[in-house]
Amino acid sequence: MINSVEKIYRPDNSGKFCFKVIDTNNKIIFVPNNKTNRHYQAIQEWIAAGNTVIDNGGNS
Amino acid sequence: MSELKVDKVSPRSGTYVSLNTVGSKNIIINGDMSIAQRGTSATGLGNGDSGYHTVDRFKFVENNAPTCEFTQTQSTDVPTGQGFATSLKMDCTTAQGSLAGDDFIYINTSAEGQNLQYLKKGTANALSLTLSFWVKSNKTGTYIFEIIDRDNDRAISKSYTISSASTWEKKTITLDGDTTGTLDNDNARSFEIIFWLLAGANFQSGTLQTSWNTRTTANDAVGQVNLADNTANEWFITGVQLEAGTTASDFEFLPYDVNLRRCYRYCYRINGNAVDDVLTGGAGPATTTSRIDTAIQFLVPMRAIPSVSEALLEVYPGSTAGSLGSIFDNDGTKDITTIGFQINADSGSPFTLNNFYLVRCDANASAFIEFDAEL
Repeated sequence: MINSVEKIYRPDNSGKFCFKVIDTNNKIIFVPNNKTNRHYQAIQEWIAAGNTVIDNGGNS
Repeated sequence: MSELKVDKVSPRSGTYVSLNTVGSKNIIINGDMSIAQRGTSATGLGNGDSGYHTVDRFKFVENNAPTCEFTQTQSTDVPTGQGFATSLKMDCTTAQGSLAGDDFIYINTSAEGQNLQYLKKGTANALSLTLSFWVKSNKTGTYIFEIIDRDNDRAISKSYTISSASTWEKKTITLDGDTTGTLDNDNARSFEIIFWLLAGANFQSGTLQTSWNTRTTANDAVGQVNLADNTANEWFITGVQLEAGTTASDFEFLPYDVNLRRCYRYCYRINGNAVDDVLTGGAGPATTTSRIDTAIQFLVPMRAIPSVSEALLEVYPGSTAGSLGSIFDNDGTKDITTIGFQINADSGSPFTLNNFYLVRCDANASAFIEFDAEL
């Protein structure tokens, strides 16, 4: 079960990113921004349930 | 030189499906429970623990907020004399006698649509399916097996009975072919294959849907016993085979390496150990004093671009275990694909430009890197 999700941007300022997911057991999973990945699908369901992805922008 | 002469070659009696018999006839991967990359035991599985924990390809799934808990194990308790060495065990460790309406727990495994096209589902020639498996539980009674067609939201459920407590029993269930709903020819989940362990009223208030039809959740698991009603309860399963046709053939044992490679398509995990450091296959130069560029190539192309998790990885020489944890850069367009993973490791500025480094698991049994492309 997802606890938090944060966008992690590439350091090349391309705007491309992956998701850093922390689940309720404090396990960290890096999830590609790709719809065929099951964790990506879980993130979309988590967002649809009213949760918000942390997005600190691409230049941090 | 010997010579073989025959007058006629005929199909054997009964329904015999010649398709997909070269390679694997079993739709289920790791049905003998022999591969467990993630570990052999996981405790405290209950609310919030849906996921793959021990045996590859078999997922613990829960819904709502059940208060019961299970330990899942790759067990060596197997039916005698059948050739199996391992089973999947679910052991209730916290009981829940009364279930909320939306509570459920089941074990599932899933199949890609592109591997199921030969079933001709959704056509007049749709093939029947036969499931066979060995099961054991102290909790006798009715259990439910279900297949959900996730492409078309259709389902079929069948019950089986555990009649002798704590005794291995072989079960065989035949399902009619479904002439409605073609399966997508892609790498996504088309069949979800489910072994129910407990179900609240919202999943068993209707009538068990024993023929293919549009899925109705109230019909999913009618009659399912509650495996969580006592901490003495346990449930074992092995030898799971789902094949085309109306008869169950002997379980198809695959060599260990073949089975492992089939599992690698969905999970590729390199585990550390307490004795020595373990190479991950990642090796490359420092392109700056704060970065090395290296790659891990997967042994089998994965089903989809995987997620990545790790613990206690280290760069050798010159960095401490766990230093790579926050810098994976796997946006799915450049650094990670279905065939490999490029690590851009940044752990301060410990590197010497153009020196060569290895990425490895620390000498610790908890160290690992895991790539997950499961369904």
